[in-house]
Amino acid sequence: MKIECTIDGKALTLSVNSNKPLSLILMEDLENQSLASYCRGNACGNCVVLFNDEAALSCLIPAFRIRGAKIRTFESFQRSRQYRDIERAYKAIGNRPCPSCFNAKTLIIESILQDLTTDTGHPSASTPSKEVVLDKAKVARELSLNSCQCMDMAELIQIVEIALGYRNRRRRVRRS
Amino acid sequence: MYEGVRSPLIYTPRTIGEFATVIRRHPQAILWAGGTYLMSQPDYYPGEAKDGIIDLSHMEELKRITRNDRYVEIGAMVTARQLLSTGRLLLPPILQQTLQSLGTQVVRRQITIGGALCISDTRLSLSTTLAVLAASAEVKLYNDSKVTTHWIPVAKLYDKEGKLNLGSKSALLTRIRIGLEFGDFQRFVLFGDPIRKSSECGIVALHAKREQNSLSKVQFCVTFPRKAFHISKDIESKLSGSALPIHPEKVNSLSYELVAELTKMHNTISDLQLERARRIFESFLHDLNSQSLS
Repeated sequence: MKIECTIDGKALTLSVNSNKPLSLILMEDLENQSLASYCRGNACGNCVVLFNDEAALSCLIPAFRIRGAKIRTFESFQRSRQYRDIERAYKAIGNRPCPSCFNAKTLIIESILQDLTTDTGHPSASTPSKEVVLDKAKVARELSLNSCQCMDMAELIQIVEIALGYRNRRRRVRRS
Repeated sequence: MYEGVRSPLIYTPRTIGEFATVIRRHPQAILWAGGTYLMSQPDYYPGEAKDGIIDLSHMEELKRITRNDRYVEIGAMVTARQLLSTGRLLLPPILQQTLQSLGTQVVRRQITIGGALCISDTRLSLSTTLAVLAASAEVKLYNDSKVTTHWIPVAKLYDKEGKLNLGSKSALLTRIRIGLEFGDFQRFVLFGDPIRKSSECGIVALHAKREQNSLSKVQFCVTFPRKAFHISKDIESKLSGSALPIHPEKVNSLSYELVAELTKMHNTISDLQLERARRIFESFLHDLNSQSLS
């Protein structure tokens, strides 16, 4: 099956099996280095990508659903401004996830930040886009998508809080 | 890797009429809603899909949420996330709690209502909750050249082991209807992971209406994925009309009646699952008592 899509900013035409999971396409056909494992449905949460700008588990997306989609893996995300916010938060805490889950956890944090800072309304935010009050229980539930236990949940929530601060500050500066 | 695997054909109907044409030609094709359950199976890829896959994501008719004064109708392709965000003020708390229990927000973006109800061999929490809310599902059956439409209560979509039984291989669940008159006592508890550790999991839901000092319209369902989908008419009728608070001895005897019923009808449920379900059921009734006394 021929599928046209955009991966990491490159428009590609892929010739792959129609039901092949996106995670395998990225790993085998495109040799993307940011994904390392295929857990066969065990929900390890290590294959997170941004699918049309929203975080998604790439092992749950079949090839026929990626037609015309915009996919962003950690490889291109790490060159963006948004990544800087999260990287600074890691530095501020003085800890970061282990190499095997670093990419996935960073993209999950990005997804949480996006939800908190957009105006569409999110259950984690009591007043979206203005002064966001973090619902820690809900943030913890989102972070639990990745099953790696390398970091304390309290630390991860702190990272989200700090990164959210940087993100809001940057947005305010851009608006003014 | 897997270069020799044959690529299944994908059909993308845009209307229910187009779907009817496709399903008649390919009655064995796999219906693809969100795909979260299908893709989380260990043998999904490389796998067999000889008659192809029918992708339902292009059917706009299945993505609508409509409401009137009496009920809300939810299209089968509405995702759990859409339903949670658009129906926050409309839906009963028990349904919101159930939708949140389906997974994290990332996964809820993909899970569809119809897909969660139509898993063939295992029952997730949504079926249990919709059964106690007395929801019904519109099912279109495609037999030869005839299409028949039926409204079937969600509680009757499954057999006692929880296997989907739509009455025909070629069938499409198009929408569900939930009445907007809810009881004021709603409880839902999920223990364990219904997909990864289904042998330890259980789902218990109770819905009832308190009128003055008595209970009415009691709906109770307990589910053990891959093992049992149990609606106890006996316990429901014993609880309906009961005066509140319910005597602790009656609570105790009812909970053991539930265990006896489950053991008699489903012999694969483990003792731990039974005990947890029993205690959760008891806690619901104690909760009911404490609310009636406050």
